[in-house]
Amino acid sequence: MTTSNSVRPDEIRASGPLPRWRTIDLLTCAFLGVAFGVAYWAWGLVYETPSNVISAGFPPLSALLNWPWLVAGIVGMLVIRRPGAAVFTELLAAVVSALIGTQWGITTLVSGLVQGLGVELGFAAFAYATFRWGPLLLGGFLGGAFEAVYEWYSWYQEWDLGYKVAYLFLFGASVAVFGSIVSVALTRGLASAGALNAFPPGQEVRERHAV
Amino acid sequence: MPTTEPRPGARSATTSTQGGAERASAQAGAAVRVADLTWRPYGRSRPVLAGFDLTVEPGERVLLAGPSGSGKSTLLRAIAGLLLTADSGDLAGSVSVGGEAPQDRPGSVGLVLQDPGAGVVASTIGRDVAFGLENVELPRGDMPPRVAATLAEVGLTMDEGSPPGALSGGESQRLALAGALAMEPRVLLLDEPTAMLDALTAASVRSLVDTVTRRRGLTLLVVEHRLTGWVELVDRLVVLGADGTIVADGPPRSVLREHGSRLAAEGIWVPGFPEPEPLEIELTPWPGDSAGAGSVGRGEVVLAARDVTVEHRTRRLGAESRTTTAVSSVDLDVRAGCVVALVGPSGSGKTSLMGALGGLTAPASGRVDFALPLTPGGSAGALDAKGRVEPPHEWSSTDLARVVAWVPQRSASAVVGRTVRDDVLTTPRALGLDPELSERRADEVLAALGLTGLGAADPRHLSGGEQRRLAVASAVLHSPALVLADEPTVGQDRLTWAAVMGILEASRDEGAALVVTTHDDGAIGRADETLRLTAPPPSPPPATPERRPLVARVGPLALLAVGLSVLPLPALLESWRQGLAVLGVELLLGVIGLLAPGSGRRPVGRVRGVLTRLAPAGLAVVGVAWSAWLLGGRDLEVAAGAGLRVLCLVVPSAFVVGYLDPERLGDQLAQRLRLPARPVVAATAALQRVQSFDALWDELMKTRRVRGIRADRGVVPRIREAVVVTGGLLVGALGQAANLALAMDARGFAEARRRTWARDAPWRLADTLALVAGLVIVIAGFAARFFLPA
Repeated sequence: MTTSNSVRPDEIRASGPLPRWRTIDLLTCAFLGVAFGVAYWAWGLVYETPSNVISAGFPPLSALLNWPWLVAGIVGMLVIRRPGAAVFTELLAAVVSALIGTQWGITTLVSGLVQGLGVELGFAAFAYATFRWGPLLLGGFLGGAFEAVYEWYSWYQEWDLGYKVAYLFLFGASVAVFGSIVSVALTRGLASAGALNAFPPGQEVRERHAV
Repeated sequence: MPTTEPRPGARSATTSTQGGAERASAQAGAAVRVADLTWRPYGRSRPVLAGFDLTVEPGERVLLAGPSGSGKSTLLRAIAGLLLTADSGDLAGSVSVGGEAPQDRPGSVGLVLQDPGAGVVASTIGRDVAFGLENVELPRGDMPPRVAATLAEVGLTMDEGSPPGALSGGESQRLALAGALAMEPRVLLLDEPTAMLDALTAASVRSLVDTVTRRRGLTLLVVEHRLTGWVELVDRLVVLGADGTIVADGPPRSVLREHGSRLAAEGIWVPGFPEPEPLEIELTPWPGDSAGAGSVGRGEVVLAARDVTVEHRTRRLGAESRTTTAVSSVDLDVRAGCVVALVGPSGSGKTSLMGALGGLTAPASGRVDFALPLTPGGSAGALDAKGRVEPPHEWSSTDLARVVAWVPQRSASAVVGRTVRDDVLTTPRALGLDPELSERRADEVLAALGLTGLGAADPRHLSGGEQRRLAVASAVLHSPALVLADEPTVGQDRLTWAAVMGILEASRDEGAALVVTTHDDGAIGRADETLRLTAPPPSPPPATPERRPLVARVGPLALLAVGLSVLPLPALLESWRQGLAVLGVELLLGVIGLLAPGSGRRPVGRVRGVLTRLAPAGLAVVGVAWSAWLLGGRDLEVAAGAGLRVLCLVVPSAFVVGYLDPERLGDQLAQRLRLPARPVVAATAALQRVQSFDALWDELMKTRRVRGIRADRGVVPRIREAVVVTGGLLVGALGQAANLALAMDARGFAEARRRTWARDAPWRLADTLALVAGLVIVIAGFAARFFLPA
């Protein structure tokens, strides 16, 4: 109560020492990861066609439809607010979508790992002390950029450097903007639904509407 | 009791196999002392418990009663030391169990929750019972006798390898009890353990609790709304008031004599008091020409089901999907103004049959026919191309909503509106009914249910009982001709019971036909007709077991390595020839992996499984090849090279993914790779529940369809719907996570940074061979690079 009234809402810290994950932190990350993994599997089925269409003339444009893949890690971090939340959630989402069966098979795990790491670095750069636009933009961009570099290697070797760079910036920027907006909206939605009562975002909502 | 020993649960390993007398002295019940306890969850201006004191003597058996919201469950969580596990708030005061803080000795306080299955952690019942033992680092060798003894003690006689999902409600509660008892607790806390069970099952669970606590001399605290049956087996009844203070405390008989009528008025089911009467609710009728209730004369057949068989498909990660028969050849006529009760043990197909009756699922065979005036074409009967009346599962969302209402058992799944009022008016709006009359009926029903003041509230914030009332009211406001209610009264107190039955009967009096699945004698007694279902016999297991493909004999870690062995390939493959060569090697290895030598039946669907997994890759390959062609000099050979390279990346996965078992993967990650135990266990437990997400998604979509708001066509509405339902799925998932966290921490998981494992994770010859296969892929890449033209 003392913290929530004196600190900005997006700066409430997780309870206890930050690296000391509670069981509910682990399980919430894990369940978010699994739920997103199922959603990713479904998105993977429908996204290939529009992606091929918008990139038919200029392939790097396909980056614009890639931001949903990073939402899991960002939401995980916004909810749990502990070191490792982005990597854990994103990696688990990748595991689940791979187990159900995506077009990328088990190599999805590499994507999940680098995307989660990128997002994680953004929040680590701000010492996990704030969960506002600074770390969101940085983490989103880095997550997208890391994945773009992995895709240079695995998918798009034939492209010229110019195209590769364009892809990286489009990817990073779309995650930083769209990915962040959607993640923030989702986190707020979950908090107002009463699903995040044990976490800082839920705590903030509840104290504001105290009855 | 020495307090320096950090893991006493492990130390007492040997006592379980010794004589009863010694056991009783080693683990007799502990005293519980709650002193000056105050708990205010964030978001409440007043504490749930304020300065609360309670002392329970060792071995005493206490029943806690009180109206909803009086803090009974909170008290149990506090005694278990788990208040902060799934909630946040201000906590003050002290709780001690046997003189120590409750979580100082993991497992010393056992907790069983209301929802059977909410605390299931593992994929087999044996492994689930062992979970707490793993957390207190009991050596693996000591686990099997303890698990077997505990399962026998709670009367679970099936194989230890049975999946928890196959258990009935009563069996699930026995399993939860076993999970707590295996840790040799000194205090047992039961939070409405029989609320979701039928009367007979509840009685058997109660008598089990009686036997176990007596034999072990445990201290027992039970929270229940239905006091019947419990009163006889406790020593003391503590009654909490709505404000969270103790209003009565003493021997059950005398407390009930003094406070019984007040408790009954507050909604508690007190033995000896007559069943409540359903609320009388009168609603302004719709004008006569609406297509819903009333368009079929009272007593006439609304719905005729003939020879209906329903099949149920379950999917599990790392396993084949299974089809089981849930309902076999049922005939049923449902008549306007009449109530049919579907009864039978859990697993007998009541819910599945209801889904088929209401057009929510397609029956595997048989017919479901509504009276012609109710079908989308009206009395003329809209015939499809084959000249038959469209079956209800093919009707559009609004056509179905006009005729059918469905109340799912989980009322949280039934929420579709942003506010309570919005929720009630959703279907009348979707059907374009008279807004003024809809509003008036909404006012009437909300007033009758005591929800008037909550019209602007978010339905997701309502209490369980309020949500239940809302779900029933919202389903029937537009007077559908057929109302389906799945266990509408389960777990309800007297007040909610009267409200829910009141709305259902009001709908019947308007001429609706009602089908209710129920275990509740009160509800069964008010039905006009009862249909008893029995589970169809399970299909006998095949005489000879299937042979297992070679790949199925490989552990998950090695399979993972095979899938990832492709990662060096992009650096090696430069031309389509090289790609083709490596692809050939991969396919050859894959086919070898699918071989199933040995004796037994030939396994089916191996190749089909691989092709299904490869199908989505097709478009991805096309996309990459196209971009390579466009940006790589418009050269077909370049495009083919890029496409083949991508194919090489994904083909090995298609062969191995279907054989990865998540639980064994967790075992190997923790024991072979030494990854941190707690995250691995959490991830594994979540992976066990993928199929429950399937079921929840399905339920949310069905709710939308039957409420008339399913997006039947159009891209934008479908996307919007997907977003909304995904949100609902996430909320449901996080609710599960919170319950599971509670159940896991009650079994010592909070401090289990080091733990033992009930199942080993050996590295076998097959694993090494699989690694060799992965290596062959890499070598093939190098060979192609150096021996084939670029």
